[in-house]
Amino acid sequence: MAYRGRGRGRGGYGGGGGFGFAKQEPFKLFPEIELPAHKNIPIEKNLILWNSRLLNYWKSSPYFLEESVEKNSQSVDIERYSDWNKPKVSSNRGSINQFLQLHSNNFPAELVKDSREQRNPKRVRWNADRGLRKLDLFEKLEQKFEGQEDKDEKEKKEGEDEDEDGDEAAGEAEEEFSDDGDYNQNIDFDDDEDDFNMDDGNDDEATY
Amino acid sequence: MLTEYGTKHAVHVITNHFGDLVAKVCECLLRKGPLTRQNVKRYTELSDEQVKNALLVLIQQNCVQAFTTEQPDGFADGPKANTQYVVLFDNILHRVRFAKFLTILSQEFDQQCVELVQGLLEHGRLTLKQMFDRAKSSEKEGNLVDLDSLRETLVKLVTAHYVERCPASEPLLMPISEEEGPARKKGSKSAKKIGEPETIEQQVVEAALPMEAMRFSVVTNVESDVGEKEKNSNNVTPGEKRKHDVLELDECGVADEQSVVYRANFEGFIRRLRHKGCIDHVRAHLDDGAANVLSAMLQATSSAEKKVKTKNSVPLSLSSIYEEVIKSEAGRNMTLDHVRASLVQLGELSFVDASSDSYSIDFEKIIEIAQNEEVESVVSKRYGRDAYRIFRLLSKSGRLLETDKISDTTFVEKKDAPKILYKLWKDGYLLMEKLVVTGARQSQFLLWKVNRQILWKHVLDEMFHAALNLSLRVSYELDREKELLNLPADKRTGPLQDRYNRIRKVRILLESSQMKLDDAILLFHDF
Repeated sequence: MAYRGRGRGRGGYGGGGGFGFAKQEPFKLFPEIELPAHKNIPIEKNLILWNSRLLNYWKSSPYFLEESVEKNSQSVDIERYSDWNKPKVSSNRGSINQFLQLHSNNFPAELVKDSREQRNPKRVRWNADRGLRKLDLFEKLEQKFEGQEDKDEKEKKEGEDEDEDGDEAAGEAEEEFSDDGDYNQNIDFDDDEDDFNMDDGNDDEATY
Repeated sequence: MLTEYGTKHAVHVITNHFGDLVAKVCECLLRKGPLTRQNVKRYTELSDEQVKNALLVLIQQNCVQAFTTEQPDGFADGPKANTQYVVLFDNILHRVRFAKFLTILSQEFDQQCVELVQGLLEHGRLTLKQMFDRAKSSEKEGNLVDLDSLRETLVKLVTAHYVERCPASEPLLMPISEEEGPARKKGSKSAKKIGEPETIEQQVVEAALPMEAMRFSVVTNVESDVGEKEKNSNNVTPGEKRKHDVLELDECGVADEQSVVYRANFEGFIRRLRHKGCIDHVRAHLDDGAANVLSAMLQATSSAEKKVKTKNSVPLSLSSIYEEVIKSEAGRNMTLDHVRASLVQLGELSFVDASSDSYSIDFEKIIEIAQNEEVESVVSKRYGRDAYRIFRLLSKSGRLLETDKISDTTFVEKKDAPKILYKLWKDGYLLMEKLVVTGARQSQFLLWKVNRQILWKHVLDEMFHAALNLSLRVSYELDREKELLNLPADKRTGPLQDRYNRIRKVRILLESSQMKLDDAILLFHDF
């Protein structure tokens, strides 16, 4: 039996025909290994935040090409009544042509001659499409909730001033960006260090 | 040379950013080298339209460069130019570090600069007009965007070499003739340390670069356009008449704003990261004073650096170094004696070359020592203290040593040494040679050596492997909790909240690890 998927060579493969020479091991996607102490890793929240924003933009941008179903194959099936209620396959992403400068200074001639350039600059969508981001409304609720959480935690916290300032600044920066409604934040970064401390049971190590 | 895990890592990055379709085309180009569009279609088995769109995205995002070569056509029709596409592996690697680039910018420039470059990183390439439209679309009340201030911001960034004009779309690459081949190899021994001929990727990138003066120029107003227009018209086929009417310039200026495309200059950011890496390394080895001195020297000489992997900085005299040191906040209180003492310390470690009253930083040395420390640390953590001592001995001696000699010099037990050596050799850290001596009796000796070039490649491949593992794990964990992440906050109660906190911590930890690992990859690949 052949195991496919994200194994990339890890895990055991069944011996050819099961002669008994090779020991058949169960397939493990992420085998247990000895990991280094996680406390030694410097946490770079700023970098993660930037990275997250960029990733969220690309995933919902026209540059993320989906392997869409060819229109020809759809016409082979008989159109059924039940199909009317099914959501349409068409994507909500904009076309890449709205951003690409399709002239031969910028792209090779053979790619330019087949494409039509979108002329209307007003139609260009700079902010990621709402439908694709899914969390728009919930994002705002999250940010509200986060704001409340922040206030509660600050009352409980024995302040280390530098950290608080850092947190506030980061928190403010987040609020600022979230007001734009530009970026999809799946994980709320309430930069509240207490989350770590509370779960880890009050270590003696310095907090950041 | 691309290693297996380097390729896999790059493909995974592209998959995350642009989807499977683009990644398929990218993987095809990575594994097969430069290809024409038809060949890409043949190997990937995708449709014409899909290949075209994928190539457009990859070029737009600066991951692929097109070029043409002249091929002598067998049918006496004359030479035919065909367009091929080559993948820019380095630029794909840079994609995971965009956050670091933006952090550098936020420390040196204002918010508008950061947002402009963020737009360039998101879209790959933009014209000034597009930058303006983008800024306007996320305009806030009380902070209105105007074209002039945006243009000024762009000029600031271009002058600092953080933004550049995009390269030529399909430069002509002259094939290296056979007669030139051996001659190049002879010349390359003196020219380059390693003596490797340039890869096609490097040749294409060089051929595509606009002239230095044009690369970092912005079309501003009519008067200053004169210089630029003359250079622009060099691209026009020679022999055409050039008219330089003022009125025409004016129209061209506006047209240029809509057609000249800019992109982030990755080299500028990497150079900055390289400097920071050197400063941090010096700070760890010596002290803040030495770090300040080094930082000041870099400040004064960085504009003179021609390429990223510069070996030495431009020499500076003690007085000019001192002037620069006291300009900075950190170095304000340093005395001349203190500066001189730091320079002596730096000189002792060979970080700085001192000759006839001028000092120049030896980047190669600093980076070499940092790389050695990294590898030694890996060996020590993975194989233990004895192995670390053995490895260090072999690495410093740089030649073949025999097993017994090794165990004597490093005070390792005679029976343990062969086991450790064998383990290191099996994992690719050492080279082994067998020596058979026939004398009174035949005896066999095993000789061991560290080959730095081979080992560095191996270490880098292991790092790509680790980076790939981390990304796969992050994707897996986030995918598993996809539904939980899509839940609104108020629905997350009890055990769901615990799971949510867990996934949040996991993500932060894994991504921080990725960033730290990327520092090591920078050290071995880009610095």
